[in-house]
Amino acid sequence: MKPFWLKTIFFSALLLLRLPAPAAVAPDAPAPDEVAARKLLVQAILSSGADQQKQLTEVGDTGSKIAGDILKAWVRDEVFLYPASDGSKVPVMLEDLHGASGKARAIRISNGLYVKDASGAELRFGESELDTADTDMRLRTVISQTVDTLGLASPDVQSRWSAVSKLGNSQKISYIPILQARLLKEPDATVKRAIMEGVATLQLHDKDPAVQIAAIEQLQKLDSIGDVETLQRLADEKDIDPKVLQAAKRAIASIQSHIWFVNFYGTIFRGLSLGSILLVVALGLAITFGLMGVINMAHGEMIAVGAYTSYVVQNLFGTGFSFAITLPFGFGGKAFSFGLSLPGLHATGWFYESYFLFAIPLSFLTAALAGLVLERSVIQFLYRRPLESLLATWGVSLVMQQMFRMVFGANNVQVNSPAWLLGHFTVFDVSFGYNRVFVIVFAFLIVLCTWLLLTKTPLGLLIRAVMQNRLMASCMGVRTSRVNMLTFAFGSGLAGLAGAFLSQIGNVGPSLGQSYIVDSFMTVVVGGVGSIIGTVYAALGIGTADQVLQQLFGSPVMGKIIVLACIILFLQWKPGGLFSIRGRSLD
Amino acid sequence: MVAALNLTAPASAAAAEDNTVKVGVLHSLSGTMAISETSLRDVLLFAFDQINAAGGIKVGGKAYKISPVIVDGASNWPLFAEKAKQLLEEDKVAVTFGCWTSVSRKSVLPVFEKDNGLLFYPVQYEGEELSKNIFYTAEAVGQQATPAVDYLLAQGKKKFYLIGTDYVYPQTTNLILYKYLLLKGVPVANIGGGLRKDADGKVISAGQYVPFGHTDFQQIVADIKQFAASGDACVINTINGDSNVPFFKEIVAAGLTPSDCPVVSFSLAEDELRSMPTKDMVGELGCWTYFMSLNTPENKSFLAAWDAWLKTESYPGVIKEKRAVDSPMVLSYDGVYLWKQAVEKADSFDVDKVRAALESGTISFMGPGGKITMQANHHATKNVYIGETKADGQFKILKTFDQVPGEPFLLKDLDAKLSAGK
Repeated sequence: MKPFWLKTIFFSALLLLRLPAPAAVAPDAPAPDEVAARKLLVQAILSSGADQQKQLTEVGDTGSKIAGDILKAWVRDEVFLYPASDGSKVPVMLEDLHGASGKARAIRISNGLYVKDASGAELRFGESELDTADTDMRLRTVISQTVDTLGLASPDVQSRWSAVSKLGNSQKISYIPILQARLLKEPDATVKRAIMEGVATLQLHDKDPAVQIAAIEQLQKLDSIGDVETLQRLADEKDIDPKVLQAAKRAIASIQSHIWFVNFYGTIFRGLSLGSILLVVALGLAITFGLMGVINMAHGEMIAVGAYTSYVVQNLFGTGFSFAITLPFGFGGKAFSFGLSLPGLHATGWFYESYFLFAIPLSFLTAALAGLVLERSVIQFLYRRPLESLLATWGVSLVMQQMFRMVFGANNVQVNSPAWLLGHFTVFDVSFGYNRVFVIVFAFLIVLCTWLLLTKTPLGLLIRAVMQNRLMASCMGVRTSRVNMLTFAFGSGLAGLAGAFLSQIGNVGPSLGQSYIVDSFMTVVVGGVGSIIGTVYAALGIGTADQVLQQLFGSPVMGKIIVLACIILFLQWKPGGLFSIRGRSLD
Repeated sequence: MVAALNLTAPASAAAAEDNTVKVGVLHSLSGTMAISETSLRDVLLFAFDQINAAGGIKVGGKAYKISPVIVDGASNWPLFAEKAKQLLEEDKVAVTFGCWTSVSRKSVLPVFEKDNGLLFYPVQYEGEELSKNIFYTAEAVGQQATPAVDYLLAQGKKKFYLIGTDYVYPQTTNLILYKYLLLKGVPVANIGGGLRKDADGKVISAGQYVPFGHTDFQQIVADIKQFAASGDACVINTINGDSNVPFFKEIVAAGLTPSDCPVVSFSLAEDELRSMPTKDMVGELGCWTYFMSLNTPENKSFLAAWDAWLKTESYPGVIKEKRAVDSPMVLSYDGVYLWKQAVEKADSFDVDKVRAALESGTISFMGPGGKITMQANHHATKNVYIGETKADGQFKILKTFDQVPGEPFLLKDLDAKLSAGK
């Protein structure tokens, strides 16, 4: 058993090594083995005895996925023999056996094409019109073994891994030599590890205590989480060898400490990721509410603007985007209506996948523009009346929600994540989703940009001056109205960025903003109104506390309740939040 | 709103005499449930028009046209009871088709019992209820959850993780499934999600629950991943509504693939899949008594007629484009035809006579989802299908369970069997 601290160092080192080069997502590889597999299958179906067994073994070596589907159909009596005009028998499958129309097109197993008559028309058959390719018990055993081993030779790493873990959990000792043979050929490290695990799991069922102990020690060495239950069952057996029992107990304790380790770091990572989401969502509000003092209830809708922008960009990269609105009123008996139709780029492959990279800046710009319009039309008249700004922005949020409904429909819209945000990588069994790593980096970058903007640029200086004392800044010749407008647009733009990211992990719908507005205000208030750094600490703190408590109590609701209770107590103790700013401007 | 949608002549008793019969439609046309329930209003209007065009309902040698009275429950449960009262006492409708959520049904139930009305309820529900005034064309737990489990067991699945939204349908369904799995010989350790017991140690809740609108599934999916590490695991999902999107996105991000650990969902039909990331959900499972992709002549002609109707109808508020058809819609439609047959068999619109006809066990309709027969226990026998999600949001049908009877009281039944086994 490695000590915890040593493991932690290893873990961090591995994590750093893994980060720059996440494993590539496996593309849908075409199956060059398909032709060979189909040929062998046809031979196997039509022959019998030893030949048949040999051909099936060869089919197993092709690793073809289609062969697996056909073999499974064969066992279910869904492979038929079509008598061709030259007297030979052609193995076929029927296209859709579940329709009640009774007849379906027949697909040749030899090449996957439909059976046609002399004139080229596709033929349709009922199940009872054709002879089935019969199987007997012995043949079925061979077939199912072929299906099981087929996956081992698959070109796709994920399928190989699935096949290995299936064989490993099969409790059939007969698979040990098959797996061991595969281990020599296997190029991929994760699959290799799975094979070693699988062999050891199967060896637990061996009669010889020495083999069992070796297997147990192997599992302990591999930190095999999936085998704790099997080991526990072994330890619970009545007539167990005391030495085996001792080894099993040691292995269980070791693996359980590994699970604790995985959960510990997993929880920290999940806390950071949740915290980063809160941060991304609240940062815009930290500017509009925190710095400017506008109780901005439309903040959630600015997030939604960003999310819908991502949706529109996605559609523009795909099939295009159009909408039409007919208002329930108009002039001269004619309803007022307008619409927009944008053609799509019909992009595919990596170009389509890159839509999100374009969506991020566009989300910022559209939300900033919406913020600009909102500031000019409503908020600029309400800087001295915070309560009225609350009501006005709430009204604006309702109007915007209804606009989303009219343009995009009341249902949520579909946003597909690009493949490079979908996968994950694993270090010491702690899994890191790409989208989660992305949000942490994303949050870090926008906090950095905000900080640079506020402290290192002339505009930042003006912003800080106006926010601290509007009148004095005005006296010094600063065009406060313009600075207000730009600051509000910037805060709204940050909300748009949050929306772009949220579209990748959750729903995009008219009420998207509503689900984040409370969390946003909570984060800003806990952090201390007016303090950007406070918002950062508050977001990360709330996120981590939420995940840790959820892990402890095993229920998301309990975690949330306790976090809220803690926040209330905290604000009783420190009403100004984590970093309260004392100044005339806020009094 | 209500006035605008009330398509009948002013509510007067005279209307019933000139060859029309009033039929109530009680769904939420505004509020949170409107997204789902408006589709049911639409399909009911379609069924009425179809019946009227084919000559109406024949009673006492006379043909009656259906005249719908549409009221809006507005996703407000006490309002549902008031609207039901209005339908029964003022409009004096012969039958009502309506409700989606169980709480709305529980709210109108006493009204229908007091006024001796007739309600057809079309949406999958948890059972444990039988009113003499309600006919449930809905999927009972035995027509969705237990067949799905049977299918998964036959596929060699040994471990089941239960997760749902925290309200009555998932709680009851998961408790039934917990007992059903025990009865099938699945050990308690292989049922994931956690158990809650009362003071006597009796299990009162099984599975993991999240509140409505929950968005952060990281911890739960990490938990599922550890649960599935030993292989042959699957997830039974009764999460409702919006939360499914972040749930499935997290499942994909964690690398849980359908071939290793499939998720079977009971609240996601074709209509819901339209706003889901279906590209990432290919191979996940669903179980309903109707799929839009069913390749039967009844379904094909139903879909063709529905499309044709959408093109020509002129009711206000019916969306015409990008429509999906799903199980609750088809079960609403089936309900109308079952009622029509029962009325014609009883040769009367009288509630008691129609009920007797429905309870006779001979009222049966060849619907889009296959044959549906009303049973004496007010539930229906129908086909159950297991389907696999495709990238286009439709289902590929994997297995058909023919003519499964509806049974509302599974929990009691399972308890009896479990204690008999001890």
